[in-house]
Amino acid sequence: MPGPTPDSAVISAARPRESPLGLTVRTLLRRRSSRIALVLLGVIVLVGALAPFIAPYDPAAQPDIVALKDLPPSLAHPFGTDPYSRDVLSRVLYGARLSLMIGILATIVSLTVGVAYGAIAGYMGGTLDALMMRVLDAFLSIPRLLLMLGVLVAWPHLSIGALVLFLGLTGWFGLSRIVRGQVLALKHAEFVTAAQALGASRRRILARHLLPNLVSPIAVAATLGVAHVIVLEAGLSYLGIGVPQPLASWGNIIQDGADQVARLWWMSLFPGLFMVLTVMMLNILGEALRDVYERRV
Amino acid sequence: MIRYIARRLGQAVVIVAIVAAITFALIHLAPGDPFSAVLDNPNVSETVRETLRAQYGLDRPLPEQFVRYVGALARGEMGWSFSHDRPVREVLASALPNTVLLMGVALVASFALGILVALLQVARRGSLIDHSLSGITLLFFSMPDFWLAILSLLALTYWLPIFPVGGAVDPVMHEYLSLGGRIVDRLKHLALPALTLTLLASASVARYQRAALLDVLPADYIRTARLKGLTEKEILRRHALRNALLPIITLIGLSFPALLTGAFFIERIFAWPGMGYAVVNAIGTRDYPLVVGGVIIGSIMVTLGSLLADLLYAWADPRLRGH
Repeated sequence: MPGPTPDSAVISAARPRESPLGLTVRTLLRRRSSRIALVLLGVIVLVGALAPFIAPYDPAAQPDIVALKDLPPSLAHPFGTDPYSRDVLSRVLYGARLSLMIGILATIVSLTVGVAYGAIAGYMGGTLDALMMRVLDAFLSIPRLLLMLGVLVAWPHLSIGALVLFLGLTGWFGLSRIVRGQVLALKHAEFVTAAQALGASRRRILARHLLPNLVSPIAVAATLGVAHVIVLEAGLSYLGIGVPQPLASWGNIIQDGADQVARLWWMSLFPGLFMVLTVMMLNILGEALRDVYERRV
Repeated sequence: MIRYIARRLGQAVVIVAIVAAITFALIHLAPGDPFSAVLDNPNVSETVRETLRAQYGLDRPLPEQFVRYVGALARGEMGWSFSHDRPVREVLASALPNTVLLMGVALVASFALGILVALLQVARRGSLIDHSLSGITLLFFSMPDFWLAILSLLALTYWLPIFPVGGAVDPVMHEYLSLGGRIVDRLKHLALPALTLTLLASASVARYQRAALLDVLPADYIRTARLKGLTEKEILRRHALRNALLPIITLIGLSFPALLTGAFFIERIFAWPGMGYAVVNAIGTRDYPLVVGGVIIGSIMVTLGSLLADLLYAWADPRLRGH
């Protein structure tokens, strides 16, 4: 095995290697706002994960639909009860679990499709690229909510799994355009030419040489993507076509009180506060990630 | 310039055609056919079903159906709305002006408010005002449309009854009012939905514009202006803002999807009789053709919005005007 040449030794001594991930995390933690965001998000995730242990009641139980319905906040029910006598606090906690899970899973779907589509278009180029980009333009000009409305009205009784799939499948358009741009820019970089000269296959070049350079934009898209899905799912559930009853999501708790907003204000206020907090922290984190990444470029 | 316009128009037409293909695919991938609700009715005899299917061409091969579908769309035919018992085109045509009014007012107001907030922040950059305004814009930026609409309805019609509860006009009194009274009545009903949509939309404008202004400030011509002895206010207004306004045109084009989405929820919550109100109610009644019609018209609005923004940009940017 040949040892390193003096040249490369000089280069590695001048620039100590640190993994991009380590660098990103370190830069991120230097900011107070992103530290706060990480802590609060951690708390919300923990609340969601531990919902079965910390929720005071069963979120679907309807103990007394006459005597215990529509109760305003009290010590026994800090967030009040809903028209079916269910405890709103317990539903909000379980809602954190479901809304976060849907957000994360749908975003994984979006990332997979978006990265694959963008990488193929950017790497192949030519007519295929042009065609794929026109299709993308069309998808981008249908507002995501409207696309979901079309889907959900066509398939009225979707399972949670299918809902997650559709939320993911309507969320990759923006990311894949970024990925395509990056791949296009890097396609002719020297390290890619070097890999080609060494006989690496297209797939290997994409997976081993190009994708690692896309980690930062993907991380930004993932963080903001979860926030988008949470808002979108809440909106759909609020319209009554998202998460089906008796499951609790932040959106459908608000929907349960929507007929009597003025009287049952606690049913809109509390789940909404949780939602805004989560989305806000995700936005702070996503923007901090983008700053870190843009400053490095 | 003319070639640019022609190319951009061609792109828009292609986009709308692909949108039509997507909605067609949605209709045909769905279980049953678009009016299975009618056809599932046991009182409808088999012959009637066959006649209906033949009438709507559902017995033809798919490619033929697609051509007929696109042809019908081009003529503005979008099928029959079951819940309104009228053509979808008529339902949407009567609702569209209200949506355009709501979106138009919110568009203008949100850009005015957003740019103003951004200027205020950049003039006092790093100060407490800057930071608190950043926090507030982030808060509105993170707020789901429907939740802010519910809160403003709750706060400003029930708790503090300043605005009327919903609708576009007073359902009882409007007919008896004088012309001036009617205009005031309409404005009163428009105020809260428009304010809500403005607040939601202005958050992203302010955040975007603040970043754009901060990008421009280190430029040489700003330093020159400062050396000439211009005050910070004059520099912001006469040099920084003018150069940071160009990206705003792009942002106008990009803001249409969010405005439309916001309008859908806000119309629903304030019972504002626009397109969103019609489409969202159509979900409840499973009036499929109306929902698909709404999706198509909404997408065309977004495509037109970004087309107009691009043309405006080409006209406003002296570097592009010559080409």
